[in-house]
Order: sequence, then structure tokens, then C-alpha cells
Amino acid sequence: MANDITLEDVRRMAADVGLTRLTDQHLQELLRATKTAQARRASMPKSDLTPANESAHVFRLDKRSDR
Amino acid sequence: MSDLAYLTIAEAAELLRAKKLSPVEYAKALIDRVEKHDKKLNAFIRFTPDKALDDAKRAEAEIVRGEWRGPLHGVPYALKDIVDYAGLPTTAHSKILKDNVAASDAVVTQKLRAAGGVFMGKLSTHEFATGGPCFDLPWPPARNPWNREHFTGGSSSGSGAATAAGFVPAAIGTDTGGSIRNPATMCGVVGMKGTYGLVSRRGVVPLAFSLDHVGPLTRTVRDNALMLDLIAGHDALDPGSVNIACGAYTAELGAGVKGLRIGVIRHFYTRDMEGDAEMVAGIEAGLKVLSGLGAKVQEVQTAPLGEYAACNRTILASEAYAIHEKWLQERPQDYASLTRERFLSGAFVRAADYINATRVRLKMTNAFHALFSDVDVIVTASAMDPACRIDDAEELDRTYARQARAPFNVTGSPALSVPIGFSRAGLPLGMQIVGKPFSEALIYRVAHAYEQATPWGEKHPSLGN
Repeated sequence: MANDITLEDVRRMAADVGLTRLTDQHLQELLRATKTAQARRASMPKSDLTPANESAHVFRLDKRSDR
Repeated sequence: MSDLAYLTIAEAAELLRAKKLSPVEYAKALIDRVEKHDKKLNAFIRFTPDKALDDAKRAEAEIVRGEWRGPLHGVPYALKDIVDYAGLPTTAHSKILKDNVAASDAVVTQKLRAAGGVFMGKLSTHEFATGGPCFDLPWPPARNPWNREHFTGGSSSGSGAATAAGFVPAAIGTDTGGSIRNPATMCGVVGMKGTYGLVSRRGVVPLAFSLDHVGPLTRTVRDNALMLDLIAGHDALDPGSVNIACGAYTAELGAGVKGLRIGVIRHFYTRDMEGDAEMVAGIEAGLKVLSGLGAKVQEVQTAPLGEYAACNRTILASEAYAIHEKWLQERPQDYASLTRERFLSGAFVRAADYINATRVRLKMTNAFHALFSDVDVIVTASAMDPACRIDDAEELDRTYARQARAPFNVTGSPALSVPIGFSRAGLPLGMQIVGKPFSEALIYRVAHAYEQATPWGEKHPSLGN
């Protein structure tokens, strides 16, 4: 996603994911929020991850699962 | 009785058990206080004096019959309004859920009712336990009892305000990025987020499943430990719940800190962020107190705050968006502007970014827990700043992310905020004490030693006439 995302970009992207009732004010919020999320992604220390680094979410089964 | 408003749970329990204090008299005193002062503070979103009196009368009859249930029997408490209480609305302080009547109690509510607590009502929160103080919601935001022009911290805003104001000696809050510890710091009370999975989340409106914690806010460390004793425990129907022996959180109180190894993460508030000078001075003074009591203080290093924050917020935004997507599609206008913007930040997070955040999370968690081979507990900042004015949107926005609490939602570690004094403007300061998983009793031991050596717990806000 480009860093210079515009209001028109988010309007189109919002419609694609069913956010069709957002007003212009809401879309401005979505634009700011999307830029914030992009900044977070840039701060994520993921360069040291190796393929063996698993997700913190592990699929678990217990004895109740075979019911 | 001189001041029932500021009785601790431990003091009240002794008086109630000995029949020197009537639960009804106690409840009436706090009901009167709420009726007199809450118009200024908005701590309660739904005040339930009739239920409180019913609970108090029942407790009184049981205690008179010699059927004392334990330290909360006949003692008032209140719940953040994202925690279900059967028959009452759980609104999450939102127009979206204003008619959402709970069919049954949350597990934490069941436990407090079984302990004989006197239910005083539901407390204000930031909408859906996120965002900040908003003036575009059906209910006004809670205000800080130390200065009502200031923010309470959040999101358990009413829980912090009600406890500090002497409306209840204990309240339940929740914490996904710091929402128990922030109001505890800013309102000058004690707030504990136990280890992830220690307290059941069932019956609590979720914000982000893998980061959500439920915990108590109280005015003293002992009371906090007593409350955690009551609410901790395995719940097979909560997928995050841990099946582990727990309890006895008061067992180490009074053991002191002599010989304990206390790590301090100083880079959080000096290098990663520059904490407010008074907050930093308060934390450093707190460390000197612990050192003076015989603890060995040494600096430790962990990942920068920015990395923890990126991980916490990416996971939080993604999980919260998944929960709120339908409402954001169908009725976006029913959220406060601030809340809507927070939730919309999850709209376009890529699946790979979310999964990478959880991979980073596990790596950071393992590295953080390894620090405990050299230290017993860790001290660091909670908030970087004292509470700002509640009407200063710019300052609220600037200080929102200036905190060191979210790292311990990422790691799932137990973390407590304890009062460490006041700013020159009279606003509370606080610090965090963090431990390895399931070391809550040790954290309480350290916090209690600090509390007993300092005068902060004896001060209470003046609510005026």
C-alpha cells in the first residue's frame, strides 16, 4: 500500500470491504487510521523473523475435542 | 464510624465479620456519597442503589446467622460496563449496545456475587474499552476525582474514578493495552492486570481476544490481592483461560523486599520516550525507597517501546476490527468519532502483517521472560505523563500513546500500577511493577512493601460539598 494514499483511494477500498455507509468525515478518519496502521507496520521488528518463528496463536486440541 | 467511604476491604471485612459494622449501614453511606458527588464525576453509567440495599440486607442476615462468606461479604463493588450482570444492560458506553441486556452474569460477576459482595452498579468506560473520553456518546465521560477538569485515564475510567472517590473500595476493570493500569495511575489507586488467562473473560465484551485481561482496581495493595483471590481461576469455557493452581495472593504481604532483585527498564521512559520530569522523578524516588528497604536494583534492557507498541496495536486493531466490522458497515454513525477512527485502523491490515505481529509477539515474549533469570520483578513507568485536561483534545491525542503498559499485554505478564505520589498540580503519579507469568503474589509483596513505606495511600481527593 503506498504511503501517499488519498481520500479517493480509501473511499474505493472501503467500498470493496463493505464499508459503504461511511460519510466524508468517516472517510477522513479512515484515511488517518490507515496511515497510522501503515506506520505501525513499518515499526514492526520483523526483519529478524525466521521461517521457524511461529505465531503466538497456536491451534490446540484437548481431550474435549474428540466429542 | 469515622469515614466509611475510605474503609479498605480488609478493614471493612474485620468490622463486618465482628458485627461492629452493618452491611446496610455501610451500603447506605456509600449510596449517599454517590448520590451527592457522582453528578460531578460521572463514574457510574448505571447506579443501582436498590440492588445494593438488597445485597446488603442479604449479607447482613447471613453474617448475623454466622454464615460469613469471606472478605467481600457485605462490601460494595462495581463493574466496568463491559462486564455482564444478568438483567442489566451492558452498554460498553456505546449507542451500539445501549439496549443490550445481559442474559447471565459474567464469570467474574458470578464470583463476586458468590463472595457476598454488594453490587453498586455499572461504571463508565471509554466506548468499547478503547478510544478516549468522548463527548459525542449517550453518557458523559468520567472525570478525575483529584481534579474534575482532568482525564481519569482509561479505558476503565469509571473504575478508577469510583475507587479513588470513595464510592466503592473495589471495582472491576479490563486491560487490552493498559486500561486497568492507566486509570489506576491517573486516579492514584492500585490496578492489577494479572497474567493472561488468569481471570476469565467470559461475559465481558471483547476488544481484542488475545490481549484482553480482567482485573481489580482498589485503593490498597492488600485489597487488590484479596479481590484477585476471588476472581482468578480456570474457566473451561474461556479459550484463553489457564488451568493452573492460583490464589493466596496475600500470602507474601509483609515479607518485605530485602534481598529481592528488582530490574528497572529505564529506557522506556528516558530513551524510547522522554517521560514527564515529575513522573520520572517519582519513579526514581520509588526505586530509592525499594532500595532503602533492602532490594537490589539493577537496570535491565528489553525491546524498544515502539516495537512493543507496533505489535500490540497491530494485533489489537486487527482483532477489534474483526469484532466490529459488521457494525462499522451498518451503523458507523453510532460510534464516537474517536472510537470509530481507532477501529477503522484495522480495516486494511494485511493478514501477513497480523500474523507477523503474532510471530514477533512470541519472540518478544520469550526474550522478555528470559530477563527473570536475573531479576525477581521489574519496575518501569506506567504513564509518561500525569492526567491532562479532559477537554484538551490535542493533549489527549499527544499523550494517548505515551505509555509503557502495552508491552505487558503483548507478553501477557502480570503488571500492577501503584501510586507513587503527586505532581505539583496535585495529580497522581504511578509506577508499574511487572513479574514473570503467575508471579502475582510476588508483585503484591513488592508493591505492599513500597506502599507501607510511603504516605500516598493515606491521601484522598476532596470532592467538595
